Amino acid sequence: MIQADRRTGGRAVGTAVLAAMLLTASPPERLAAQDSQFGIRGLGTPGRWESVRSRSTGGAFGPFDPLSPLTEAPLADIGQLTATAVGGTSHRDVAVGGTTTALRATRFPVMGVAGPVRPRLAVAAGFTTYLDKSWDVTLRDSSLLRGVLQRYTDAITSDGSVADVRFAAAGRVSRRLAVGAALHVLTGSTRETAERRFDDTTFHTVQQSAEVRYDGLGVSGSVLLGLAPGLSIVGWARSDNRLRATVADTTSAMTDLPRMAGGGVLFAPSPGARFAASAAWRSWSNAGAGAFDTWSWSAGAEFGSRRMPIRLGARGGQFPFGPGTKAPTEAAGSIGTGRAFAQGRALIDVGLERLERRGGGLTERVWTVLVGLTVRP
Amino acid sequence: MTGRRLALIGVALLVAACVERLTAPGQCPDFCPSGQITIVDTLLTSSIHGDSSFRGYVLAQEAALMLAAHIPGATDTLDGRPIFRINGYGSRFRISSADTSTGPILGADSARLKLVVLRRDTATHNLRLQFYRLPITIDSGTTFGSVAAPFSDSLVRTVNIDTLLAQPGRKDPVTGDSVVSDDTVSHQLVVSLKLDSAAARYVPTDSGTVAYGIRVAADSLASLAIGEGTLGPALQWYLRVDSLGTTVARTPVSLGARFASFVFAPSPAPLDSTLAVGGVPSARSLLRVAFPKFISDSSQIIRGTLFLVPAVAARGAPADSFVIEARTVFADFGGKSPIDTRLGDTTVIHVGATDTVKIEVTNLLQLWAADSTHPRVFVLRPQAEAQFFGEIRFYPSLAAAFRPTLQVTFVRRFPFGVP
Repeated sequence: MIQADRRTGGRAVGTAVLAAMLLTASPPERLAAQDSQFGIRGLGTPGRWESVRSRSTGGAFGPFDPLSPLTEAPLADIGQLTATAVGGTSHRDVAVGGTTTALRATRFPVMGVAGPVRPRLAVAAGFTTYLDKSWDVTLRDSSLLRGVLQRYTDAITSDGSVADVRFAAAGRVSRRLAVGAALHVLTGSTRETAERRFDDTTFHTVQQSAEVRYDGLGVSGSVLLGLAPGLSIVGWARSDNRLRATVADTTSAMTDLPRMAGGGVLFAPSPGARFAASAAWRSWSNAGAGAFDTWSWSAGAEFGSRRMPIRLGARGGQFPFGPGTKAPTEAAGSIGTGRAFAQGRALIDVGLERLERRGGGLTERVWTVLVGLTVRP
Repeated sequence: MTGRRLALIGVALLVAACVERLTAPGQCPDFCPSGQITIVDTLLTSSIHGDSSFRGYVLAQEAALMLAAHIPGATDTLDGRPIFRINGYGSRFRISSADTSTGPILGADSARLKLVVLRRDTATHNLRLQFYRLPITIDSGTTFGSVAAPFSDSLVRTVNIDTLLAQPGRKDPVTGDSVVSDDTVSHQLVVSLKLDSAAARYVPTDSGTVAYGIRVAADSLASLAIGEGTLGPALQWYLRVDSLGTTVARTPVSLGARFASFVFAPSPAPLDSTLAVGGVPSARSLLRVAFPKFISDSSQIIRGTLFLVPAVAARGAPADSFVIEARTVFADFGGKSPIDTRLGDTTVIHVGATDTVKIEVTNLLQLWAADSTHPRVFVLRPQAEAQFFGEIRFYPSLAAAFRPTLQVTFVRRFPFGVP
């Protein structure tokens, strides 16, 4: 029995190593990378608060997933101490103005731990990406200086993100009803640089840099209601106050953050089939010009046993930042699976997502490979 | 065990996934950051004040070389004459290296004088060096006028450099003169001249000390520079020594000049309200700058240019363009301010030119911006002081229409953190 455990554990380790290699392996040529270009002019690229399992279903299972830091109420059913982490590598083609550029990014968007502390009470802590703010923009342009047209190359970069550190608690009020709430501490920093190199080297190179720190607070709450055996609904809401950016202890910007609300329905007609759908609204227009309120929806399904299910899903909606008067649109399809090892104490989830964003003459097409690791010691 | 392995893999995954390599195109303005690099260009017309000139930093005898010139001008002729003194061996000389016995020096059969011509106008033809015997009393107090007489009646030798260079092997078989080195890159010449016993008189009562002066002449404007110190004149004596009634020949080691300088006329014009730079003795100018706080406090300077309007055409030997440099000082003590030699910016001055002179002083302005305690003072001086006759004079700040000005191009602080 012990030997069987060791074999199972060894396979789990091997699979995890393979997953790590898949996530981190780079092709020999230098590929460019950044987050969505739609987010450069806005606050950034909002993170996806979903585990690999949820994201493989288009996000539809997110409101019902205790390991997705979207809602709190499902934590009430977590049962045992669980830790999870998600990694993803995106390969992005950006088409604008007749040119297409290949970009690549690797992210580690979710990490958390959750577990019961009382028979009807569970708590969780962890972080997820709230806004990704890594990008590098290079430009060729010219300007009239001292009566002469001077050509130059600008390189403006930002490297960092704002993380959402979440402390959540959930309890089962009754057999049908669970509630949860969370405090969200937004924190992070970016290393930003601005450089201009003139073709005429009489003009020295402009090089400025700063570390920008961000902070903010938010609260959220959720309700999970079992309507009937195999049928549940969930509702959630969240409010964040503002994102304060400080450079050298001086506030450089205060940006109002959105309120958001959403809900979903989960239907499990049999132990081998689960279906879910969800929708969410976010008031990103609070953030100012160039930001839009967004709606998003998702639908997905999970088939098979929990030891090795097949997942698929689709989602659509809007991206909160973009040029013009209309929010960019986004649509995605996803597929995934998972594997439990060591009698369910370790789970590897993998997913593949194809995303397309359109707006303002720019189209992004993204393949994202996702790997999740969940441990129940 | 497995849990520990999984934890380790999780940590490895975390570390590896955080490695980022970022680069991307820009499609502006829609998909670019809202903040832009803002460049401002401003002309500071009244920031320079308290400017003045000082002369006497490097004298002729302190210069690294000797200047010779003969350049007729409209009103006078620039006439520069190197002078040098070579001390002898005394009245006695060792007969043998095996013992310390000495014998009286009877005289010299001949001598060979080596000169290094460091700089010359290769366009000048028929360049001649005329050697004059000077009083051995020449020193730092010697003036052009005080040696005018020997420079007119004590000619001992003339050598035509162009003729010598045209000889096979650059050697004159009649006179014994030669050019032993001709650097085609730097145009430096090492000239070796044979002086007979009349030209090179070893006078034991003078301890064998000799002094010579050189005048230059050419078909057109003549100007050259002769080395000093290790590159200075060297004299190889061929002596006759009395060894117990027998005259023996001795060739001791060559001797270098113990004193080397040059005299010239006309003397530099006295300093006036203009800003003089260059000449001999060398002149420097100080310019104090009221550097605006809005530039130094909150921006990055990417270009600074100092504009100076010549009050008169730059003077000097036409072929000898010279370099002036702008530096700053560690402390403002007027003419005795210690110069900060860490940073400097230069420009070339062409003799006869009256165009506005521009010196890029970006490095200095950046230093001032970085160090608020650094005195905001420019020092203008020749890069090679007293090594050129060239001198330029600029209008001072008192001349409102032509005063020195400073053009500064700077960048405002980038709005980091603003979405």
